[in-house]
Amino acid sequence: MKKIIALILAVVMVLGLAACGGKKDGSDVEAGLLRVAASYDISTMDVAQTTDNYMIPMNIFDRLFEVEVQADGSTEIVGSLALDYDTSSDGLTYTFVLREGVVFSNGSALTASDVQYTFERLLTAGGVNDDVPLEVAGAEALKNGEADTLAGFTVIDDHNFSITLAAPNAGFIAELTGPAMSIVDKETMAEVDNFGLECEDTIGTGPYVVTEWVVNDHYTLEYNTKYWGEEPSVKKVIVSIIPDPSTQNLMYQNGELDILDLESIDSAIVANTYKTKYADKLVSGSRVGMTYFALNANNEYLSDVNVRKAVQMAIDVDYIITSVYAGDAVAQAGIIPDGVWGDNADLARPTYDPEGAKALLTEAGYAEGEVQFELVLDTSSSSNTQLVYQIVEQQLKAAGINVTIRSLDESSWLDLRKSGEMDSFIANWTMDYNDPANIMFTFFGNAEKTGIRSLNYANEEVMARVAAASGITDDAERMAEYQELEKIIVVDDAAWVPLFGNVHLFALGERVASFVPYWAGYSNFYAKDVTLK
Amino acid sequence: MVTNIVKRILQTVLILIGVALLIFLMLRIIPGNAILTMMGDKTNPEAVERMTAELGLDKPFYVQFWMYIKGVFTGDLGTSYSLNRSVSELISTSFPNTVKLAIAAALVAWIVGIICGIIAAVKKNGIIDHLFMGVSLLGVSVPVFMVAMVLQYLLAYKLQWFPISSGNAGWVGYILPAIALGWNSAGSIARLTRSTLLEVLQEDYIDTARAKGYRQLYVIIRHALRNAVLPVITMMAVQLSSLLSGAVICETVFSINGIGRLAVAAIEARDIPLLQGTVLFSTVIVILGNLLADCLYSVLDPRIRKEV
Repeated sequence: MKKIIALILAVVMVLGLAACGGKKDGSDVEAGLLRVAASYDISTMDVAQTTDNYMIPMNIFDRLFEVEVQADGSTEIVGSLALDYDTSSDGLTYTFVLREGVVFSNGSALTASDVQYTFERLLTAGGVNDDVPLEVAGAEALKNGEADTLAGFTVIDDHNFSITLAAPNAGFIAELTGPAMSIVDKETMAEVDNFGLECEDTIGTGPYVVTEWVVNDHYTLEYNTKYWGEEPSVKKVIVSIIPDPSTQNLMYQNGELDILDLESIDSAIVANTYKTKYADKLVSGSRVGMTYFALNANNEYLSDVNVRKAVQMAIDVDYIITSVYAGDAVAQAGIIPDGVWGDNADLARPTYDPEGAKALLTEAGYAEGEVQFELVLDTSSSSNTQLVYQIVEQQLKAAGINVTIRSLDESSWLDLRKSGEMDSFIANWTMDYNDPANIMFTFFGNAEKTGIRSLNYANEEVMARVAAASGITDDAERMAEYQELEKIIVVDDAAWVPLFGNVHLFALGERVASFVPYWAGYSNFYAKDVTLK
Repeated sequence: MVTNIVKRILQTVLILIGVALLIFLMLRIIPGNAILTMMGDKTNPEAVERMTAELGLDKPFYVQFWMYIKGVFTGDLGTSYSLNRSVSELISTSFPNTVKLAIAAALVAWIVGIICGIIAAVKKNGIIDHLFMGVSLLGVSVPVFMVAMVLQYLLAYKLQWFPISSGNAGWVGYILPAIALGWNSAGSIARLTRSTLLEVLQEDYIDTARAKGYRQLYVIIRHALRNAVLPVITMMAVQLSSLLSGAVICETVFSINGIGRLAVAAIEARDIPLLQGTVLFSTVIVILGNLLADCLYSVLDPRIRKEV
């Protein structure tokens, strides 16, 4: 018996010694290596096929312009592959000068034809991210197969080209900063079969090349020695797929991760561990966007503006921010989120007044508890969002509004919402580019857009003005128009219940000196914006 | 025996078609649109419509099922919506990791289970017996995710003996998941070994062997265990197939790129081909495991062979 116990102990000790992990300070980790985790794997590296798998595209491709975060937290659009541009007096034609000497990671030179090819490809190969190229004159004809080329795109020479829009859009340059507008190489694309799926086929001009992708396990980015810009501090990035947030949490605390995205970590752990033990390791970036409460104007009760106003008055956003997010969120007043050009700082938030909400409903002729509708939950939402649903349900009940939470899986939830028949829901929108059109037009641009968001906003005049606003070339005039429209939708029509914008926290490991999150607060980030010690 | 095996294989084919039909039906009855989930919230409706047509999801149910079954019998399980790869390729990449985990867990379960079962039987009603049976009862009762998380916290995080994530850690990464996954099975094996061994130890021929002057260990190994092990082996074979198909939680907690995690990813993304493929594959594994158990049983027990 003693021999057996001794043997077992010996085996455990040997295994333990063999298995001993690395040092917590990461001093034994390869120099220049950045280790991060993602909760799920990407489906493609091709932005023509995805609207959210942006970690690889952001790092291996470049855009014509980028948004740069300044030291004071403000943002500025700066030239990336485009050095300069000029706009015609009618606001329709943009002429660009391309940076010279830029090559793709396989040595192929960047030319204006590559940019043209990128625009045309987004229209013809996928249709997932074709919103921006669709604004170019002749885009519909190319998309429908009635033309072979994009009429509004003119290649002047290798480094000069112009783009003519079908209608003026003052936010066009901002739109070109989105990851969807990553520039690809025309020549390479003609030669490869698996762009977006195979590493060697997926070539860009960005600071990194993707060298390995083991599906559902990890992918690796390495410094692109042909990169035109400054050499980054991070030379290699390994993104491991770790679906379990508690495993990610332990890995960070054990020194196995250099940056931990705290969005998926339970808020109680963030409050009790990260904000105390790792307070000096936290970096925040606002998720530029907002969590909103959508009300369907086709619903029997929600079609009444008084009911919608009562809902606005019944929600105590400050309580939600304090109790669920431990203060890591900022209450929003309108549709255009804080940090976006055009945000109206003077717009007042809906006042929290449950008694006033009750009185308003009585005045409108509703009996106590008569108003009722469904609040539909996507079960794949974070635990924090699910908590918000429960709090909102209670707060509405306190104001005499009965809501029933209905839980649906993500697929069914999306299906119901896009059918326009979802009574109400709480969701989040993160900005794709820094222009109010990205949220105003998406939600209130026309009947179809408001329908697929299950808002069914009925004010056609306002929707026509929202659609026309992007064509106003004078910045001050355009901003005033958006702010006026925002006021009508939120205050007069009460068709939108603004809740809050999240603060996106990241925890940095011992090896990381500094990190600047993406301006819009995505989980995806530019690895070149990380500096290692 | 050969006729029996052929009969079982034919039954297996029928079961597989039934399972395929069942999964196919269930995934289409439930509400929701897989294409919407796959392409993301910001995709425009035309793109969703086009993709639906491209994937043949607008065709009648029976056409889709016929195409699927044809594919299955030619080894083509379709293409994953969420991972954009052939399902067969994804399964063939992930399955070796699940096999490694299942074998490691089976070794833990069998070696620990049998040794503990023997010791408990020999030391019947002693402290060691109670201790081992208590621990094995704990193994049977405590859910795998709890064991996995406790082991991960204590041995990987606190003591740092093992890596927290098994992903890139080589064979060392499989130790904790194997213990977590195998403990439950070890408990069952230990309890079964103990009870069958105790039964056999009451037999007259054991007394005869002892009377011949053989040492206790020799009697147990050569005479008692050989006869007591038959039900244990059946359980082991069944366990192996359930370990292969049931490693979902361990693979998720320890980040092992196996079949279980693939299935979880498929469920989360409403990835119909991937989910169908992983479920069908797991079904095959369970059926083969049971077939193997039956075959082993008939090989080890001449009476069963004769009956067949």
